[in-house]
Parts: sequence; structure tokens; C-alpha cells
Amino acid sequence: MSEAPPVLEMRGVTKRFPTGTLANDAIDLDLRRGEIHALLGENGAGKSTLMNILYGLVTPDAGQILIDGQPVTIRDPADAIARGIGMVHQHFMLVPVLSVAENVVLGQEIVRAGQVLDLGEAANRIRLLAKKLGFDIDPSTRVDQLSVGQQQRVEILKAIYRNARILVLDEPTAVLTPQETREIFEVLRRLRAEGASVIFISHKLDEVLEIADRITVIRRGRVVGSRTPANCTEGELAELMVGRAVSLRVERGRSHPGAVVLEVSGLRAKDDRGQEAVRGLELTARAGEIVGIAGVAGNGQGELVESLIGLRRPTAGSVRVAGRDISRTSVDERRDRGIAFVPADRHRFGLVLPYSVADNLALTRYAEPPFAGGFAGIVRNFHTILENALRLMEEFDVRAPAPTAPAATLSGGNQQKVVVAREFRHDLKLLVLDQPTRGLDVGSIEFIHKQVIARRDEGVAILLVSAELDEVLDLSDRVLVMFRGLVVGTFPAEEAQREKVGLLMATGGSRA
Amino acid sequence: MKRLLAFGLAFGLVVAGCGGGGLGGGGGLKIGMVTDIGQLEDKSFNEFSWKGVQDGASAVGGSAKNIVTKDIADYKQNIQSFVDQKYDVIVTVGFLIGTDTLAAAKANPGIQFFGVDQFIPDPIPANYQGLLFNEAQAGYLAGIVAGTITKSSKIGAVGGREDVPPVVNYIKGYENAAKSVKPGVQVLVNYVGDFNAPDKGEASAKTMIGQGADVVFQVAGLTGAGVLRAACNAKIWGIGVDVDQYQSLPDAKACIVTSAEKRLQNATRDAIKRFKDKGKQSGNFTNDATNDGIGYSPIRNLNPVPAGLEDKLKQAIADMKSGKLKPVP
Amino acid sequence: MIRLRSVARELWQVASIPLLAIVLAFIVAAVVVVISSTFTSTGFDVFLPFGAYASLLAGAFGSGTALSNTLVAAAPLILGGLAVGLGFKAGLFNIGVAGQFLVGAFASAVVGSSLATSPTPVGMPLAVVAGAVAGAAFGFIPGFLKARTGAHEVVTTIMLNNAAVLLLTWAVNDLVRAPGFSFPRTGDIGNSALPILLGRNVHLGIPLAVLTVFAVRWVLDRTTIGFEIRTVGQNPNAARYAGMRPVFITALTMTLSGLLAGLAGAIQMLGVIGFYAPGITASVGFDSIAVALLGRSDPIGILFAAILFGAFRAGAPLMQIETSVPIEVIDIIQALVILFLAADLIVRRVFRVRAAKPVISELATVTQTWAGGTSPAEPS
Repeated sequence: MSEAPPVLEMRGVTKRFPTGTLANDAIDLDLRRGEIHALLGENGAGKSTLMNILYGLVTPDAGQILIDGQPVTIRDPADAIARGIGMVHQHFMLVPVLSVAENVVLGQEIVRAGQVLDLGEAANRIRLLAKKLGFDIDPSTRVDQLSVGQQQRVEILKAIYRNARILVLDEPTAVLTPQETREIFEVLRRLRAEGASVIFISHKLDEVLEIADRITVIRRGRVVGSRTPANCTEGELAELMVGRAVSLRVERGRSHPGAVVLEVSGLRAKDDRGQEAVRGLELTARAGEIVGIAGVAGNGQGELVESLIGLRRPTAGSVRVAGRDISRTSVDERRDRGIAFVPADRHRFGLVLPYSVADNLALTRYAEPPFAGGFAGIVRNFHTILENALRLMEEFDVRAPAPTAPAATLSGGNQQKVVVAREFRHDLKLLVLDQPTRGLDVGSIEFIHKQVIARRDEGVAILLVSAELDEVLDLSDRVLVMFRGLVVGTFPAEEAQREKVGLLMATGGSRA
Repeated sequence: MKRLLAFGLAFGLVVAGCGGGGLGGGGGLKIGMVTDIGQLEDKSFNEFSWKGVQDGASAVGGSAKNIVTKDIADYKQNIQSFVDQKYDVIVTVGFLIGTDTLAAAKANPGIQFFGVDQFIPDPIPANYQGLLFNEAQAGYLAGIVAGTITKSSKIGAVGGREDVPPVVNYIKGYENAAKSVKPGVQVLVNYVGDFNAPDKGEASAKTMIGQGADVVFQVAGLTGAGVLRAACNAKIWGIGVDVDQYQSLPDAKACIVTSAEKRLQNATRDAIKRFKDKGKQSGNFTNDATNDGIGYSPIRNLNPVPAGLEDKLKQAIADMKSGKLKPVP
Repeated sequence: MIRLRSVARELWQVASIPLLAIVLAFIVAAVVVVISSTFTSTGFDVFLPFGAYASLLAGAFGSGTALSNTLVAAAPLILGGLAVGLGFKAGLFNIGVAGQFLVGAFASAVVGSSLATSPTPVGMPLAVVAGAVAGAAFGFIPGFLKARTGAHEVVTTIMLNNAAVLLLTWAVNDLVRAPGFSFPRTGDIGNSALPILLGRNVHLGIPLAVLTVFAVRWVLDRTTIGFEIRTVGQNPNAARYAGMRPVFITALTMTLSGLLAGLAGAIQMLGVIGFYAPGITASVGFDSIAVALLGRSDPIGILFAAILFGAFRAGAPLMQIETSVPIEVIDIIQALVILFLAADLIVRRVFRVRAAKPVISELATVTQTWAGGTSPAEPS
């Protein structure tokens, strides 16, 4: 190794939260010049806390940070920026109504002759910078007109514009399409070539293996291993991350489909803008069968599941469950008929974040006994609500400090487990899953997949919608391809090859 | 935290130090006034009544304080606060507070109460006097002005409600005076039935203006603001009511000629003097020309003021004083 | 002991910013009083605010009478604050408390005066119920409009406030005007008045208001209806997903909010005012919004906030008598309290406190819904 010290070194960094959780336990990390260093760990492992310490957002209880071999104290983000540290958060910190240039210079305006903001000069610098990094972006475009991937690049620009030599990306690919992911990787490689150093936070194994020079794995606040992509495998990383052997492939036995449970015919539904999104769709699902729906996002899958659960009123057609048309009944009635639903967006639909875990675990059954009773049946029974919560938390391994903790304080994986625990009841006929594992780490995904298979084997009909083709292919007994509001192809599991399904997803086949 | 504690301590000490005293006014009568809803400096009933109370207090060597009322529910307590502080005279302003004033007067026979603009029904307590005004006389003065300045020989008056006697009195006096200075003048009268509807007042005045009226007199409370607005917009003359509305209604500054005034300041001042001189006052006391209880506001917006107008007005006041002139025969 | 301390810490977390906002408002208002004293006959007086605040305090809490005045003034604010706070819980901003209050006051005055000679146990409860029902009906209108058409309740309730004033003026003038008075008003409520329980003016409405605090708290915290209201307020999408009907809950909440506001009008009418006349002002309506914000929509918080605002009202006369400091100072203090709550950063900077909880989350929901966010109207 060269004698030059690492660009960044963190030594023995420790942080205990007031609740008593040890978020970081004596973490050591070093970053070399021109290196992409991946920080790998499950949700809640302590990656974000460590980076917030580096960025001055959180004060550590112990430990040391060295930049170019010199010990430094970072009090706040301004300090961090001054020392050449740039951060791209998972949720972008851009002002939507301002232009790219205005966003980039925000807080760092070039002022010419008194107090006039010189945006022209800034735009020129940004254009040059963008060219160097290989993106095509017009500095005068308003940010709200950019795609998510482009917005992320604006965030990177912002950091580089402020002379960041150390760039931290917090789960940058979580919100991107595969194409956008490839593009961002290209940008990172260019940055590396320019001599910048990158910390890449992720829980996606394949990405880490593709882009990183070195990988540090964190579990429950501790560094549990360090690897290079050349000397490890996905399985090994997964085991390090989760702390036990993880099966990345879903173990599912043969299915034994029974009677038809769900029968959708001629279903039509409009999207929020009034455009017809589901256009006469037909499908069936049998008891004990997982029917997967593959498709590029935005082909009517969302409207389909909302029509099934009762959140959207179909304009035509019927939805029969166990022979009865339920297409005009309320959400409540459908639940009573044994339908459950795991929504794609747990923050928007699945949870009330300020509510306790216990309240969330009873959210869809709040008004029925034993959760309510007493005078006129409207008095909530906190005893049974808590009991229910403790039982489900145990059964579904929901990690929360207490059943009374607000759901907002849980990690994404645990939040999703709350939704799953609530919806995966034992007396179900039909389970509709919309992106059930989006944004989750491998451990949580494995757990949820096992639960899905278990419910199938209990004889529940399961409809699985997912943008992750691999998930659909791994779990489904039958794969349907949805394209522009219609089912354009059906494959039994054994015939559903990735390429064939992918092609049909993209083109819609002969019906395109 | 330390600073906070220090502050709390300091505050507490000062409060303890001041709490006992209060700033009572030496000897003499203690006179308190409770306003009508609104603010003290309203250039209307509250302000002029208060000026009179202050004048009266200094005339009798007493002290005066006021409590401003912000909500109808506070009337009782505001009066009671003066009672609790052992005030000798309590003046209340406006008819809405009349009910509570009557109750307080009955409960506190040792305190003298005066009610501005309050007609007290029988039986009247010995310690409560309503301060009323001879509206017909004030209206008569307004009528002299209107009759003198009209060119079209058509003048108008907009009243709030026909079943409210003071309103009718104002307008009767106005009508008679106009006819006396300009025989053959046509007086258009309309009662809109509402004291709180400027839009109705405006519509009513517009109709009169359309019929050729070139002076309008408003006797309609808030409705009247609309009357004067219509007059100003049509560039004709307007006449205000109760107080000098050139001051109290800035919108009407452009065209207001005068106002038929209740001299509130004189009324409250004299009431206090009466009490000092003669003891307990009761009944409904009418302020009129004989005690300068009514009048007209300074003539404005007339350039030049028609010859003889001021003389006619002064003569009318003198005749009303002597009893020679009865505005409403 | 440890438990006690942790409870105290939690209380401080919730209450510190509101309390400090009040302290800061008093300090700033004191500066205003000192400056304005230079323009009065007494001249520049550094100690004037101390004198004024001392009188204010004495007038509000200094004696049994003072205390009862405070309670009397607080009672309608408690109910009005609950009305606004309940709306906030469902993500609704009911500015219409002023109108609902007037409608309630009017209805109880009409029913009360027509039963003026009936025995109190008959007339009084009927008059109270009439006020509550009228308020509820008037609150239902904006609720129904929002549920059906998505019309924003801020707009409709502001409009309805004006509608209420004009409608009631007409009604008193032309429908229920009592004979024998020189101005339009309803008859006296006579036996329908709320019984005086204590001293000169502590009427039955005060315990009724306090009981309502606990009733509302119970409904919000312990019942499925309260759970529905809160869920719709927190996350209308999740509420629909959970099988609730946000449209229905919205209409219901506005109706209940109107009911509380109408009840406030009823007890003010039957406990204090005694008759309805056009020109009755409803300062309670707007002060209630401030009370709900200061109490953070929590029923118990509202109880304390209402007592504070009631104390302002009760102490103001003595302050005016003893120091001639105008009552508008009270308005300044109240406005500053709300200003500092909204801009809580100022309070944090001045007193160097860290509060874990956002102070006026209600304001956030207000601005969010106002900015054309989610409407509970069901997609067709």
C-alpha cells in the first residue's frame, strides 16, 4: 500500500441512543483515495447513523474521525461540507420549483457586484461539471420536471459543486429503475477516475458486488467483516449481513391448487386522472395457488389491486370471490369475506405512522370484537389490542422497543412486517400482495416469502403483484403478464423463463 | 434554564411588591365608565361619552376610569368590576348594555348609574338615569341645512326602522325644517328596516338620487354608511347622524355637510355635575337645545357656505331654547 | 420517585414550548406597554407593565370573585377550543366556530325565552339541547359540503360565519323580536337560565364544560369513533384502506365540532348574556382557535389554555381600572402567544430548549390540507 494516509478514517465510533439501543458499537472504517467503498447491512444495522455522524447530524458518544490523517471534529453539515464531505440522502433535499442551477448553488450563491445573484456564471460551471461526469442536464430546467434518476444526479452535482472529495450515497438505487441504476454506476465510476472517494450504502448484494472496490458489512451496530468483490459471494455476504445462513432462493414445494377463489371478468377501472387503466381484464386464482402478475410499473396493476380490495370503484365487470360478486361492496365487507391486502406503499396506505405498533396491528379490525366492545360496541379494548400486538410481534419477529412505540420509529423492514403480520390472518380466502418486499433487506424478504408460501400451503389464494420480476418468478405458481390494462400472457411456473416474460412485459406481444 | 428561573423569580417579586396597592384616585368621586362593544377611540359614542365623563370628573374634583368592552358577555362583569372597586358613579354606553345596567342599579342602590342612550322602562330605580336626546331638534337643524343647500328642491332621508321612535323623530324634525326654509321642497323618506345593512342603505340612497334628490340624511346606524357612500359616489351632499360623522366615517369625508349631533360629551359631563349638585338622579333625562344636549357639527365641504345658513341655525337653536320653536308640533 | 420524574419530564416535553411562548409573549407585550406609556398622560413608566400584570393577575386569580370570573369566561372557551381541536384531530380547520356559536346562542335564547316561565328543570335542559343541536346542524353544512364536493371547510366556514350573523339579525328583527324594547332582541330567558352554583356567577355551564373535556377525551382516546377521527386526520388513505369512510367521518366531525361550538353558545347565553340581540359579538369563536392551538388540540391542554384565556378576560377590567392600560394589550399578548407557537424556533433560541415534539402539528395539517393536498372525497 502507498504511505499516503486514507482520505477518511473513522475509529471506534460509538453512538447509543436515549432509548438505550447501541446504534454504532466501536466502528472502524477507512476510505482510500479513488475508491468506492460499500457499506452493507440490513435496515436498522446502523449504516445511516454512522453516516449522519460523519455529516455532523449526530454527535457520537466516542470515537475519532480523521481526514487525510488529521483528527477533525465535525459539528454540523456546514463543517462537513467545508471538509469536502458531500452527502446524497435517500430522500432528496431539492426545492422542486427552482431550477437545477438554483438548487445547486442554494446556500453557496455566487454574488457579483453587491447582492445580485450571478446565475449565468453558476450555470456555466454546472454545465462543465455535468459534462465531465457524463450527464446531460440543462441547468435551467425546473427540478420538478426531472425524473427521479435525474434529480439524484442533481444531488450529486450539488455535492461535487461544493468541492466534495468524499461522497456519501445513502441507498441511492432504492428509488431507481434498473436503467437509471446503470447510469448512476457510470457516474460513480467517472468520479472514481477523477480521484474522488465514494461511500456507497446499500443492502442490495448484486449492486454492491458490481460497483464496490471494497465492502464493509455492518450488523447490529458492529463491523462484522470486510471483503472485496473478488473474494466473496452473494451468499457469503448475505450470511454476514443477517448473521445466519440465508436462502436466497425461495424454497417452495409443489402447490396443490383447489377450487377457484378469485374470478375477475371484464374488469374495467379508471386511474386518478380518469384514463382507463384496466381494460376488460380477466383472471382467476385458485385456493392454494400463488398467481404472480408481472409487468412494467404503470400498466394498471395498481388500479387492479385497488379494485379488488375496494379502494377503487370499477367502471365495469365483476370480481367474484368464492362465487359472489364483491365488486360493489365496501372495503370492510370484503375483509369480512376473507380478503386481505398488503399495499405497495406502507406509509401511504398500510400504516398510520404516529400510531403505536399495537394500534397499527389492529388497524383493519379496530371496530370488531374483541378489539372493540362495551357501550354500543364502540369502546376500544386496549387489553386485547396489546395482547394481539405481543402475539403478532412474536410470531412475525417484529423488532420494536415496545408495542406502544410509534410505528414511525421502526425500520422499514419491521414496518412492513407489521403490515404483513396484520394482514396474514389464518382465516383468509384471498391475499392480495402489492410489492410486498419493496425496499426491504434480504433477511426481511426471506421471512416474508416464507410466510407467503406458508399461507399458500394453508389453502389461501394469493395474488402477487411486483415490479421485481425475480420475486414474481421465484414465488409464483402461475405468472400472468400485464400490459396496458390487460393480461397478455399466462405461464405455468416451469415455463416462465426470465427472457420470455421480460419480452412480453416490454412489448405486450401480438396485442401491443 | 438558569436564566428562566431568574426571570421567574424577578417577576414574582415585582408582582408581590405591586399586588397590594393599586392606583386609587385620591379623594372625590370615583367615576367609572363601561363602553359599548368596540374601542375607546371610536370617534363616536364611546369616545365622546368618555370625554364628557373626564370633563365631569375634573369639574367635580373626582377621578375617572374606563373599561372597554370587547364582547357582549363582558358587560356584567365590567360593571361589576367598578362596583367591587367601590366606585360612586358608573356610566354605561349604548342600549345593549341597558339590561345589565338596570340589574346592577337594582342590586347596588348606593351607586349612581347613568346610561347613555338607554330608555329605562318603569319602574325606574332611584339611582339610575337614562341619558336621552331630543332627536327631533337635532333633525330639525339638519333639515335647515338640507333645505338651504338643495338645488333640485328634492331631499332624502334613509331611516333604519320605522318602529324605533328616535329614528322617526330625527326624520320628522328634518322634514319640517326643510319645508320651513324652502316651501315646496319634496322630502323622500325610506325606512329600510335594518340597522346593519350598508348595501340596503346604498341601494335606498341610489333610488332617491335617481329621483333627483341632491341631499340625503342617514338615520340608520351601519346601514347609513352605505347611504353616505352612495351620496359621495353620486357627488351630492350627505348629512350624518348622532356624532360628527365627518370624523367617524372617513369614507364620507368627501361629501358630508354636517351631522345632526347628540352632544354626548355635554350629556355625560352634565349628568355627573347634576349628581354632585343634587344627589341621586333617576328617570329618563332628555338632553336638548336648552342644555346644549343636541346640535349640529361644523359645516363642511360647502364653499362658500350659503349666506345666512349659520344665522338660520343659530336662530333655530335660540328659538328651541326659548320654547318658541317646536320641531314637531 | 423515578416514575414521578419521568412523568414530569414528559410533561415538560409537551408543555415547555407553549409555556415559554406565554412567558415570552408577556415580556414582549411589556415592552410595548412601556413604549406606549410615553404617549399617555402619565408619561414614560418602566414599571407600568409590572403594575398592569399584577392587576391582571389579581383580577383573574386574586380573590374568590376573581377566580369565578375567570371560570365563567373560560367555560365557553373550553367548549369552543374543544370544537376547534376536534376538527384538527380529523385534519379539519373549523373556522366556523364563531358562526356555530352564534347559532347555538340564538337557538337557546329562543327556546329559553319561550320557556321562561316553565320550571328550570324543564326549560333549561331544553334550551341547552337546542343550542347544541342548532350548532351541530350549522356545523353539518360545511361538513356535508366537504364530504360531497370537496369544498374546503376553511372557505365555507368563513362564509357561513357571515351568513350566520346576517341570518340571525334578520331572525331577531322579523321573527322573534320581543315587544317592549327600544331595540330588536329576544325575550328574557327567565327560568331557563343556568342555575348559579356558587357565589355571584359560577353557573352550571362551568362543570358541564369541564365534564365535556373528559367526555371528548374519552371519545377520542377510547372509542372506535375517536380512532376513526384521528386516523382520518393522520392518514386518510390508510383510513380508507382500514375500511373507514373518510367522507362520513369528515361530515360527522364537523357536526360534532358544531355541536360543541353550539353548546358553547348555549352556556354563554343561558349562563351570562340572557338575551340575543344583533350586534352580539362572538369573540369566543376566534379565541377558540387560539385556545385549541395553545392546547395542542389535546382536551386537557385545551382546558388549561381556556382557563388562561379566561383569566385574561377576567383580569382585564381590573387592569384597566387600576393602571389604565388598555384592554388591547390582552389582544397583543394572545396574538404573540400564537405567533411564538407558530414560529417556535424563536422560543427555542431565546430559552435554549430542545423540544422533541413539533409544536403546532395542527398548523402543519392546516397548511397541508389548505395547499390542496388530500381531499377525503372518494374518487368516482
